[in-house]
Amino acid sequence: MLGVSTVSGDKFIDYHSPSRQLHSGVWNPRDIQNYWESYARGRKYLTFLSTPAVNPESYEVYRGGWPDKKDPFTQTDLLANEEEQVQELILEIRTSPSICHGEILATRLVTLFYDAKEEDFANLGIVVGSLRNFYNFFQLHTDLKCPTISLTPDNNIYASWRGDQKKVFSVLFLPNGDTRFVIFKPNDLHPERQIRISGTMTTDMLKAEVAPHGVWDWISE
Amino acid sequence: MKGDTIPNQHHVARLCDNKHIDGGFIQATAFMLRSVDENLSVNWLEFLNCSCRESEIDELRNTFSRKLKLGAKAKIAVLTVGEVREKVLTESPDRRNLKVLHDPQYGTVNDPSHSGIYNLNHDDELIAELILETVQETYPARK
Repeated sequence: MLGVSTVSGDKFIDYHSPSRQLHSGVWNPRDIQNYWESYARGRKYLTFLSTPAVNPESYEVYRGGWPDKKDPFTQTDLLANEEEQVQELILEIRTSPSICHGEILATRLVTLFYDAKEEDFANLGIVVGSLRNFYNFFQLHTDLKCPTISLTPDNNIYASWRGDQKKVFSVLFLPNGDTRFVIFKPNDLHPERQIRISGTMTTDMLKAEVAPHGVWDWISE
Repeated sequence: MKGDTIPNQHHVARLCDNKHIDGGFIQATAFMLRSVDENLSVNWLEFLNCSCRESEIDELRNTFSRKLKLGAKAKIAVLTVGEVREKVLTESPDRRNLKVLHDPQYGTVNDPSHSGIYNLNHDDELIAELILETVQETYPARK
C-alpha cells in the first residue's frame, strides 16, 4: 500500500497500491447478431438502429454511415474489431450463468454504448479494456447487487452502489486492469461525520482492500 | 469578463450527457474531466441576466442545442458556487480550493456565460462524488 492519507473525524484514506430498472427495448442476442452481420456487410449503423428503440433519436446520427477518411478501410476495421470485442463481452455478461444480474447489466451497457455513440459515432462507445475489467470483476464476485452504471467522459465504466446513511461505493474500471474506488461511509463514533476513502487497486484485489471498510456487507446480497 | 471569479452566492449549470444519467439520476461521472480538459465546463446563470431560473435554463437550452447534439435523457444540473467550493474544500482529502471562473466562448456559436471549474484533476472521482452531492436542481436539457 502506498501513499495512505488519513483525516480523522471526516476521515480520508487514500490508497495508491497496485435497483435498477430494466429498459424497454432491450438488445437481445439476436439483435446483436443481426447488427454485426449487417455491419460487416455494409459498415452502416442503420440496421443496428432499426433494432428495438433503445435510442430512437440516434437514427439521425448514424444514418449516414461512416464519414470519409483518408484510409477508411484501416480505421473502420480497427474500430470494428474493438466494437466486436465490446459486443462479445456484453453478450458474455448477458449469458454468463456466474454473473449476477447479467441481463440487467448487459441491457444497461448496450444503452451506454448507444449513448456514447450518439455523442460521437466515431468513438468506440465503451472502452473495451474497461469493459473487460468490469466483466472480470463481476465474474469474480457473483454475489453483487446491481450497481448504477455510467461512463466517464473518456468512456470507461463507472459503477456505483449507494446504501442508507449516504453510503457510497464507486468503482472506475480502467483499461489496464486497475480500478479507482471511492467509499463514503458513516463514522460510527461520530454519526454527524463521514469517512471518505479513495484509492487505486488491481481489480482482483479490490474486494480484499475494501472489505475491512464493511463495503461488501451492503453491496452484496 | 474572461477570468472573473464567479461570486459564491451565484449559480452555475452543468450539462450532463446521456451517458452520465442512470435511471433518471445524474451520476458522478458528469463532474469528471475528459483527458483533454483543463477545467469542468459550466455556465454562469446570473450572467444571463434573466428574470427567473426557468428563463436561464431556456437560454442555456438554446445555446446547448446550437453547440451540441443533446441526448433525450441529458440533464442540466444547477449548483451554487459557494456550496461546491465549501464542500470540496472541507471534505476533500487535500482540502482542494476550487476556482470557478468566467470563460466566455465566442465563435460559430457564442456562449458568453460559459465558465469553468478549475483545480480539478483527471483522477478526482472522490471530488466528483462530492460535487454530485451539491446538485440543487436538475432540468431536462431538451425543451
